Amino acid sequence: MTAADPEVTTDASADERPLLVATDVTKTFEGLVANRDIDFEIPRHSIVAIIGPNGAGKTTFFNQLSGVYHPTSGTIEFEGIDISGMPPHAVAGLGVARTYQNIRLFQNMTVLANVMVGRHVRMHGQWYQAIAGLGGIRQEEEATRRRAFELLELVGISRRSAADLSKNLPYGDQRRLEIARALASDPKLLLLDEPTAGMNPGETRQMTDFIGRLRRELKLTILLIEHDMKVVMGVSERITVLDYGEKIAEGTPAEIRANPRVIEAYLGKQATA
Amino acid sequence: MSLGASLRSAVKVGLITGAVMVYLVAVGIASAFAKREVVTGFLTLGHLMLVIPPLAIGYIVAGRPLPTSQRLTHALVAGLATGVLFAAAFLLAVALSPGIRLVLNRVSSSLLDFVGFRSLGLEPGTGALLNLGLAAALALVGGLVQVAPVTVRRAVVGAGTALVVMSMVEPFLRPRLLQFGLPGAAQFVYRSHGLGMVSAALILALGAVLAVGWPRMRSTVRSRIAAADPATRGMLRWAAILVGIAFLYTLPSISGSFLTQVLVLVGFYVLLGLGLNIVVGYAGLLDLGYVAFYAVGAYFTALITSPTSALGWGLNWWIALPIVIVLSAMVGLFIGAPVLRLRGDYLAIVTLGFGEIARVLLGSDALKPWLGGPNGILSVPFMIDDGTYFLPIVGKVTGPAATYFPLMGFCILAAFIAYRLKYSRTGRAWNAMREDEDVAQATGISVVNYKLLAFAMGASVGCVGGAIYATHLQGVVPGGFVLLVSITVLAVVVLGGMGSIPGVIVGAFALIGTPELLREFAEYKLLVYGAVLVAVMVLRPEGLIPDASRRAELEEARQPEEGELQVEYDEISGEA
Repeated sequence: MTAADPEVTTDASADERPLLVATDVTKTFEGLVANRDIDFEIPRHSIVAIIGPNGAGKTTFFNQLSGVYHPTSGTIEFEGIDISGMPPHAVAGLGVARTYQNIRLFQNMTVLANVMVGRHVRMHGQWYQAIAGLGGIRQEEEATRRRAFELLELVGISRRSAADLSKNLPYGDQRRLEIARALASDPKLLLLDEPTAGMNPGETRQMTDFIGRLRRELKLTILLIEHDMKVVMGVSERITVLDYGEKIAEGTPAEIRANPRVIEAYLGKQATA
Repeated sequence: MSLGASLRSAVKVGLITGAVMVYLVAVGIASAFAKREVVTGFLTLGHLMLVIPPLAIGYIVAGRPLPTSQRLTHALVAGLATGVLFAAAFLLAVALSPGIRLVLNRVSSSLLDFVGFRSLGLEPGTGALLNLGLAAALALVGGLVQVAPVTVRRAVVGAGTALVVMSMVEPFLRPRLLQFGLPGAAQFVYRSHGLGMVSAALILALGAVLAVGWPRMRSTVRSRIAAADPATRGMLRWAAILVGIAFLYTLPSISGSFLTQVLVLVGFYVLLGLGLNIVVGYAGLLDLGYVAFYAVGAYFTALITSPTSALGWGLNWWIALPIVIVLSAMVGLFIGAPVLRLRGDYLAIVTLGFGEIARVLLGSDALKPWLGGPNGILSVPFMIDDGTYFLPIVGKVTGPAATYFPLMGFCILAAFIAYRLKYSRTGRAWNAMREDEDVAQATGISVVNYKLLAFAMGASVGCVGGAIYATHLQGVVPGGFVLLVSITVLAVVVLGGMGSIPGVIVGAFALIGTPELLREFAEYKLLVYGAVLVAVMVLRPEGLIPDASRRAELEEARQPEEGELQVEYDEISGEA
């Protein structure tokens, strides 16, 4: 979990500098180029989105931000620390949390335990302390449990479901639980992979409202991945569009909506003709 | 589902039951158990093996989601199917007799006489018909019990269980009654080796009353406890723990030497099961070579403590133990490190290989100067005063009881450690890893560290088992560390319920204790193991005492909607 020491910076400049900077990120799988020379920034306390048609390389890029894949070339810096070679658990420890496109909960664990696991990186209890019951282990457990209940309330899962196995939750609650698990680590950057996949328009609106609220209330920086343009238009400040692994456009929602290359990518060549 | 389909399914399960009964008789299991008397001169375990299947099948078939009026018909149909198959097999055997003995050597003419009720003067044809009728009647009785109110059902099951259990504990209970100066009671309860008629009737009644009264009593007690304030509840818990420990403490004085020997055997498997449960149940790493740690613990102990070993140190066992634990944990890390990247089946195969490597190395000529080859290492001193010591209240402790006390202490310690770990950051990290390794890592769990920790923990607990084993037998030989030990420990964990601490204890008693108490099992032990494991995996995949969180899940799944129930039933009967 060792990383290069972050550059010493004053508070003011830290606030101005983007939270995450990706420079020239290229990822190839045995010759197949999934991401090519992507430059990308996430300003602090912003909601940004990456969109693109299916197979555009969104998830590959996302996986590099969370440490699952390592870029073939290029760098990714989070708070000035190069994370492009770090294992996922180290990246998580720095304050990057994520959710998954196809919900991936710890199915045979209770709802509460799922959230408590999410807090792993903020806890310090070691196995020998757990056995001996020393080192403030009980207080830490209690604090974690309380925090987990708070988070469940925040995302809107009832206290009564806390002891249920997570796989028995209704679909919408499973999505919300995944977010609660991610929030439990007190992240600075929250990566949401298609958070509205499989939701109807009503649920989608609820979710996007909730994402906006998360930023306001928890002072989070959020990156969304979507293939559905409509979802991100209302909630995000900046949108980056990927197609065939390359960045084809970047800008505000209004700019993106008007961009002919984006329309072409989504609707095919004829639409722009 | 149509009526025809459900009837077909009843016939099918009936035929399967019939086949099982034919098998039990043909391979000689029923005859072997006929030596075990339940009610002297009236009923043996062998009889029960032929009576229970039709009863059970009637009970099960009538318990299906059918219109009430159809339930008994279905039970009867299933019983008839059972009886037809059984009777047909009997007639076939009679026709082929005595030549059939060349293939099935247990099918003697006296067995056929017995099955065909020859003693009543019946011809084979009539005997077959009587068998058919009996099977149908028994299935109908089973169905009636199922249809009857819940009180009746409980009473019947309770009475039957009490009868079988009381007769089976005769070899242990009778000497105890005599030891405690109650020869009258012994004579009243047991005639020859089975129960007397009168005592059997009393036990039936007692079992019925207990079975009916118990759930009511339990719910009263539970609601009282729930109503009590936390301080009282805490005291009650401590009281229960103290009573439990007091019971375990005095048990060897009550149970006698043979039962203590059995308890020691069970204790070894409880200890190993608790260790393996950390690796398999908590962390989800399927380890088929767990015996390696058991062996390593035993051999390290022998090397360090035996004055005649290659090292010749002759250290005290208690001084050797910490050294052995550290060494074994290192072996656990050593084995764990290369397999970190392997998952599921691949991990299982590699650990299986490690277990075999350990066994072969221990007996090898190359290591003979240190480990003694096939002769092992002998003259390992006993851990406490050469195996005879005094304890308060219990008095002089010797024989298997000398191992019993420290072993039980280590079991309690291991259970405590397992419990503490389970509800901790560490335990949750292991569980998360078991559920989804990638997501666990993205949640900030260092999968490498936690896998190694699980292996080291499992190794440490296993090696303590080995260390006690070495001092218990006062020597080690490679023959004691075979693959079967790994498999048995795994079976204990799976049978009891993965991740469940009480499950390990129950699993060890069921798999290790029962065969010791029912010596007739010995010949068929592995057969019964296999059957029991298959049955448990089909009927109760979560194990006998499932992990609390998993049990919650299954209760959820057992309250399906009306329509879903039908689908489930279709799937079970294979007619969908």
